[in-house]
Amino acid sequence: MQRIAIIITLLFSAVFIGTVSGHESQPGSLEIKQLGPDRYDITWRAPIYYGKPHPAQLMLPDDWQTIGRPTERRRTDSIIFHRVVATGGKSIEGKIIRFPGLESTITDVFIRLTRLDDSVMSTVARPTKPWAELRGERPWHVTAGEYLGLGFHHILMGVDHLLFVLGLLLIVQGRMMLLKTITSFTVAHSITLAIATLGYAHAPLPPLNAAIALSILFLGPEVVRARRGETSLTIKFPWLVAFVFGLLHGFGFASGLSTTGMLKAELPWALLWFNVGVELGQLVFVFLALGLVWAFRTLEIRWPRWAQALPGYTVGSLGAYWTIQRTVILLGGF
Amino acid sequence: MKINQQVIILHKTLIAVFGLLFCPSNAAAHLVTTGMGPVYDGIGHLLLTPEDLVPALAVALYAGLRGRAPGRRALFFFPLAWLLGGFIGLAADAMPTFPVSAFSFLLVGILIAADLRLPDNAFTVLAIAVGIMHGFFNGIALKAGPGGLGLLGIMFALFVLVAIVSAFVVSLKPPWTRIVVRVAGSWVAAMGLLMIGWFFRGQV
Repeated sequence: MQRIAIIITLLFSAVFIGTVSGHESQPGSLEIKQLGPDRYDITWRAPIYYGKPHPAQLMLPDDWQTIGRPTERRRTDSIIFHRVVATGGKSIEGKIIRFPGLESTITDVFIRLTRLDDSVMSTVARPTKPWAELRGERPWHVTAGEYLGLGFHHILMGVDHLLFVLGLLLIVQGRMMLLKTITSFTVAHSITLAIATLGYAHAPLPPLNAAIALSILFLGPEVVRARRGETSLTIKFPWLVAFVFGLLHGFGFASGLSTTGMLKAELPWALLWFNVGVELGQLVFVFLALGLVWAFRTLEIRWPRWAQALPGYTVGSLGAYWTIQRTVILLGGF
Repeated sequence: MKINQQVIILHKTLIAVFGLLFCPSNAAAHLVTTGMGPVYDGIGHLLLTPEDLVPALAVALYAGLRGRAPGRRALFFFPLAWLLGGFIGLAADAMPTFPVSAFSFLLVGILIAADLRLPDNAFTVLAIAVGIMHGFFNGIALKAGPGGLGLLGIMFALFVLVAIVSAFVVSLKPPWTRIVVRVAGSWVAAMGLLMIGWFFRGQV
């Protein structure tokens, strides 16, 4: 059985090694800073997408005039486009910024407008809505929807968080224990998400990512043990492990929220709705996994022994692979 | 291993982990990189492309109508055939101009609407043919982007979709629910007819 784990790890290494530095879910950002009554400094950071310049372009309103020469700076992970524009004495309220090409990608773009009075407005353009409207005040439901979508998107795109939840599902026996474990994970990550977002604690990303990978690696052997009918602390009290490691995952969720550059006034709302989005995404995943188990039972599929062991070994092997990869990144090897 | 020993290991691991967490270090401004982006791209491609999603759903509905054994066959052969077609598409150069996928709408839609009982082997051939054909177009479409990993994402999404939808149809007991599934099939067939009609009128 150890051979299965080694083969799976090598397989994942072989398949994903070329995409280690891909930053495929890295968001773009647009910073608009007011310099004068009708002057704005525009910085558009387009992430590298599959090793090429990002297909999305920045399209400013037609009546904005570029002053001086725009600049372009290449970095390893992005291209920074910079220019200063004049709006011809007109207000920028209600103006639309477009990102043609964004619709064919999986990239979000965070837009942040800082005015002369230091007031800040932020919004997000997505592949499903490749444009953003510049407005000082937005109705609460617009803000709520934006952060809810962000939380939902963050957990469903975060395969490491999902794999941890899958590991828990494979260990847990019985509905009550499942409810306890998922609730425990939810409570734990909500605590650290709130603490990190409100600025009471900070977890640097490289060690955090390595620790999250370690939490997945930790579950792999436990899944195999549970399948063999053995017992352990994790198998007896999966809710305890869910709580402890849930604290780590909460810091990870906070990193997803902090990239938005949200308004201080919006902070409590942002935190609440982002967390609701994360929980909804988590529930969708849990129901999908349970649905799949139900479907296998309904279709009367009899899995061979090696196939029954595969989920546990996949969780452990991916956990091992990411732990090594992220530790190497942490130590500056990439 | 005794529980006490496990508690000690867990305790030590946590101390190490939290020790690392609170070490001063520069936070790199990027999201977690798992290398799974192209796989997600593939899943997104399937879910956001009705031309592929609807026939996949139709095959799952038809498999469910036929029962457990065809459901199992569809679950394993259909996604694998899609993947195979995808790899052929990755190696292909030209996209056929004829709307071939419209025929899978029409064919599978009619089979569902009429509740026709195909022999198990004929059903397997149908599932493989539809899978290879749609996979081929996906392969061409994904060549410039996520490529083979995107195809793996599509295969994974298809596996989940076919399992849940076909099991759901198998589990339906009241006779009227079978009629509802057949009505859904007639809509799929109608879509196929419309697509073919538009093509011959030169609007596609």
